Amino acid sequence: MMGKRSLVSVVDDDESVRESLPDLLREFGFAAEAFSSAEAFLASDVVSDTSCLLLDIAMPGMSGPELQQELIRRQQEIPIVFITAQGDKAVRPRLLAHGAVECLLKPFSETALLAAVNTALRMRSE
Amino acid sequence: MTTERVMLNDGWTCFQGANADDAAAYTATADLISILNTVDAPIVVARRDSVIVFFNKAAADVLGLSPSDIGRPFCDVSVLAGLPRLEERCSQVAASGVDSRADFRERDRWFVVRISPYTNGDRQVTGTVLTFTNVTAFRGSIDQAIYERECTKAILNTVGDPLVVLSADQRIQSGNRAFYSMFGVSRDETQGVPLYDLGGGAFELALLRTQLEEMLAGSHAFQPVEADLVLPGKGPRTLVLDARPLSFPGHSERRVLVTFQDITARKQAEAAKDLRSEAELRRSEAFLAEGQRLSVTGSFCWKVATDEITWSEQLYRIYEFEIGVPVTLERIRTRVHPGDLSVLEKMKMVGQARGGGHDFEWQYRLIMPDHSIKYLHAVAHAIRDRDGQLEYIAAVQDVTARRMSEEALAEARSELAKVARVTSLGVLTASIAHEVNQPLSGIITNASTCLRMLDADPPNVDGARETARRTIRDGNRASDVITRLRALFSKKEFTFELLDLNEVTREVIALSLSDLQRNRVALQLELAEDLPTIIGDRIQLQQVILNLLRNASDAMVDVHDRPRQLLVRTEREDGDRVRVSVRDAGVGVDPRSMNKLFDAFYTTKSDGMGIGLSVSRSIIEGHQGRLWAESNDGPGATFSFSIPSGPESVTNAAPR
Ligand SMILES: Nc1ncnc2c1ncn2[C@@H]1O[C@H](COP(=O)(O)OP(=O)(O)OP(=O)(O)O)[C@@H](O)[C@H]1O
Ligand SMILES: [Mg+2]
Repeated sequence: MMGKRSLVSVVDDDESVRESLPDLLREFGFAAEAFSSAEAFLASDVVSDTSCLLLDIAMPGMSGPELQQELIRRQQEIPIVFITAQGDKAVRPRLLAHGAVECLLKPFSETALLAAVNTALRMRSE
Repeated sequence: MTTERVMLNDGWTCFQGANADDAAAYTATADLISILNTVDAPIVVARRDSVIVFFNKAAADVLGLSPSDIGRPFCDVSVLAGLPRLEERCSQVAASGVDSRADFRERDRWFVVRISPYTNGDRQVTGTVLTFTNVTAFRGSIDQAIYERECTKAILNTVGDPLVVLSADQRIQSGNRAFYSMFGVSRDETQGVPLYDLGGGAFELALLRTQLEEMLAGSHAFQPVEADLVLPGKGPRTLVLDARPLSFPGHSERRVLVTFQDITARKQAEAAKDLRSEAELRRSEAFLAEGQRLSVTGSFCWKVATDEITWSEQLYRIYEFEIGVPVTLERIRTRVHPGDLSVLEKMKMVGQARGGGHDFEWQYRLIMPDHSIKYLHAVAHAIRDRDGQLEYIAAVQDVTARRMSEEALAEARSELAKVARVTSLGVLTASIAHEVNQPLSGIITNASTCLRMLDADPPNVDGARETARRTIRDGNRASDVITRLRALFSKKEFTFELLDLNEVTREVIALSLSDLQRNRVALQLELAEDLPTIIGDRIQLQQVILNLLRNASDAMVDVHDRPRQLLVRTEREDGDRVRVSVRDAGVGVDPRSMNKLFDAFYTTKSDGMGIGLSVSRSIIEGHQGRLWAESNDGPGATFSFSIPSGPESVTNAAPR
């Protein structure tokens, strides 16, 4: 593989997501890390290396949007793609309005996932 | 020839015109006749048998007697018929020789008739002489006087206020009816009695006496005098005496008219009013203080120009400052929550703003010395003091308790709502979606990864096998979700605790009250006092009651011709069971569909899911209980459930 691969971090309390998503991301050619909570992600040493964050909305403890605010406060502005199983389309515009790159409703297709991650990475490099 | 003709009869000289035989007698008689004819007063002479023998010219002129009346008895002469018992009177006079007088009215004229004996030359009374004196003019004025006196008397007697006329020596002369009845005396017993003897001496007042004396001496001024006395049959009274002089033309003696006005009622009303307003003021002050204490509302006054702040006692209590210590903004700041200090500053600025003087309200928190937090709500009303200076009167309410209960209520409501929502398919789908989307997401991601791994060159078979295995696992997980959701309906997973169904019911009602009120449902609660506790899942049972209340309320939506009565009753049943029933006055249930009500998805409502009763029944069955419906005798239906009471039900109903 050439150069340093972009790191996509996954924060989701659902185990099957943490297991499956990094594998697919790696298949796409990204580096991937998974965390079971927002707190675990913040405590890790990959925050500043993360080029794109795939973030669950509803989690025990700090929620996805709260993590987003915390990152802004820390001036760690990582492009965020929200992923949610809530199936409520109404949250999407609100999240986009608050600066999210995309909001994917689970289950989502690999095409949708790839497109969202690529958009995020483009924003990151700008 | 002369028309006079006097018949000579029984020694009567007959004046027979001018051709009398006896010249001397004739002359004398003629003289007498001419003299009598010059007298204005009518004169009639009659024999003892009341037959007229002579009348003069005036009698002809005034009374209209005619010559043919000579020789007739009085009773035949119509003009004299108006004199009652004239013949009788005349014979009396003739017999007694004493004059008699009678009043005689002839049309609109009044006469006094004097009846005198007629004595002939032999000193024998041979008849009577009637002399008529016209008293019409005189009589009229007497009539008028009598009439006026009667009128005055009538007027005085109809006057409600007592009046009395005092003589120059201040003795009672006469009073009106009201006067005598007020003092319970008669005219006779007070006539000539000094005023001061009246009313038990209550009028023995220097001010009254001197004023009356002055008035009798010619003064007109009189300052009304108040006198307190006890009146017979009326009790203590206050009278006001007023007086005015009376003088009569032609009489030198002055008199005084005294009036009495009873002002007892007015005085009492005034006294009561004074007493009332004073008591009211005191009471409203007490009310205010008590109201402030009860409503935990303090108040303060802030004079903006001088920054002078005055607090009510209750405000001291709210701030937990010692009552009476001077209040400064600095001191207030020590209590205000740091997060709300800016609110305080802003309010101060708003208050001081030029052209200020608007009402405003704000909310802020206090941190008390024990670190507890108080929520305050303040409303300020701007006024100008007497000097036109701006000041605010503010009410500050401690809304902590309300905040707390609101929070607790909101919490309970959301918890309950969460469960209640499960009964609605819409929310159920959301919850199914979430639970199923998670594993589906894993399945799709894993399958995508799997395909990619197999497509790779060389294919990553180990990786693909792993992802395929995960796909299977996620598929199983999805199926587990379905099983779990089904379990939600069969209600196998309860949290059991010791419950008072009255309390459970009350909580649900507290949460539904506003709904019920909005639907104009008249709620009646009959909670049994001796209700045994049960073992059960509080939330689940509340959900059942809530479903029943909603259904009942729904059933009465179209009821407009009778009260929307809702009766919720708890009672102890035989065999140690507890029953809760919800009785409505709604549309009722068709007996044929009675069985179907509890089927899942059976509904007659456009927005209904038809699972309320089916879920409720499964919950109650999970409590070893029974849920059923009955038609009322009157309109509506009653839905009831009963569950076994007592701790023994734990063992029966506890989850596996
Ligand atoms: N108190 C009642 N009086 C008359 N009919 C009733 C009453 N309660 C229930 N029903 C009938 O039973 C049906 C089923 O009630 P159920 O509570 O199961 O479902 P629903 O109220 O229609 O919908 P939801 O799922 O929202 O509760 C109702 O649609 C109604 O026809
Ligand atoms: Mg219902």
